[in-house]
Amino acid sequence: MARDETFAKVMEIIGRYAKNKDALEGATDDTNILEDLKVNSARLVDVILDFEDEFDIEVADEDADAVNTVGDAVTLIEAKLG
Amino acid sequence: MGQPLVTEVPRIPRRTRFALWLQREVGRLTSVFWIPAGAFAMKYVMGYRIKNAARLRKRFRRIVAESDEPILICANHLTMVDSMLVAWALGGSWWYFFNYRRLPWNLPEYRNFAALWFGRVAVWLTKCIPIKRGGKREEVSGVLKRVKYLLARGETALIFAEGGRSRTGRVNLDSIAHGMGRIASNVRDCKALVVYLRGDRQRSWSTVPAMGDSFYVDIALIRPQSDRKGIRRSREFAQQIAQRLARMEEKYFARRK
Repeated sequence: MARDETFAKVMEIIGRYAKNKDALEGATDDTNILEDLKVNSARLVDVILDFEDEFDIEVADEDADAVNTVGDAVTLIEAKLG
Repeated sequence: MGQPLVTEVPRIPRRTRFALWLQREVGRLTSVFWIPAGAFAMKYVMGYRIKNAARLRKRFRRIVAESDEPILICANHLTMVDSMLVAWALGGSWWYFFNYRRLPWNLPEYRNFAALWFGRVAVWLTKCIPIKRGGKREEVSGVLKRVKYLLARGETALIFAEGGRSRTGRVNLDSIAHGMGRIASNVRDCKALVVYLRGDRQRSWSTVPAMGDSFYVDIALIRPQSDRKGIRRSREFAQQIAQRLARMEEKYFARRK
């Protein structure tokens, strides 16, 4: 799967939980999920679980710790997909 | 249910281990002052009363005497002094001098006390590990690792099931602290002591309970189960604890009708 495609799917998932809908349009790899997109920290787990379902991957708590930005999420998913 | 899929207790740096040891020992040595002071403030200054305190404390002491397994206390959260109230309700005051490891470590929100040096010293002495809720994931993870380390060493810790104070005044199952499940699922043989505490005059969330309030306290010892792995396992643990807490709240309100 191309990185652009993964990015698009990641944004679609995050978009369900983002409170700052305006920031979604201009989001880049550097966009912070909690601070810029205003995803509630308690909801970040739901985001990761949706990644698991969408990409058929398994994420450990320690892996999830590395996810701060959209780019981090894409990198994690790509690494899991091999 | 499958076999527990428990990871090893994380190895934390020697410097962090030493810092925790120092904090614990200085806290223990000074506890002859601050534990009675805290209990005095709650009982005589604020006029708080724990209903059925003797029976509750007897039950808690029996629970900790029956097994040496780690205990994570998971409570509901309505006021900023809930951690003090829970500790007082379960152990009283003098009992902790002889069972200091059963005085729970707390994870207070850093921003609530960091402004004053006095606040920072007070939380350091009183077995607190500050956490920035919603902060950088690595920092939050570091705090959770320290709690897991402490539990594995036979200490007791308290975490609020909803992270922050419930803005609805009721247990909010949509706002469960994932860290709670993460700790419980990653520490071998860890049990969750679910604690529901509420003052009779506590309508919603607040800074402190009303003066002279009487507190209903219910406890339940559970061992969450899951045959999942990773983040789903932690999520299921957190959900089981929070659902138990919600049932305890239903029981509380049913009794008040």
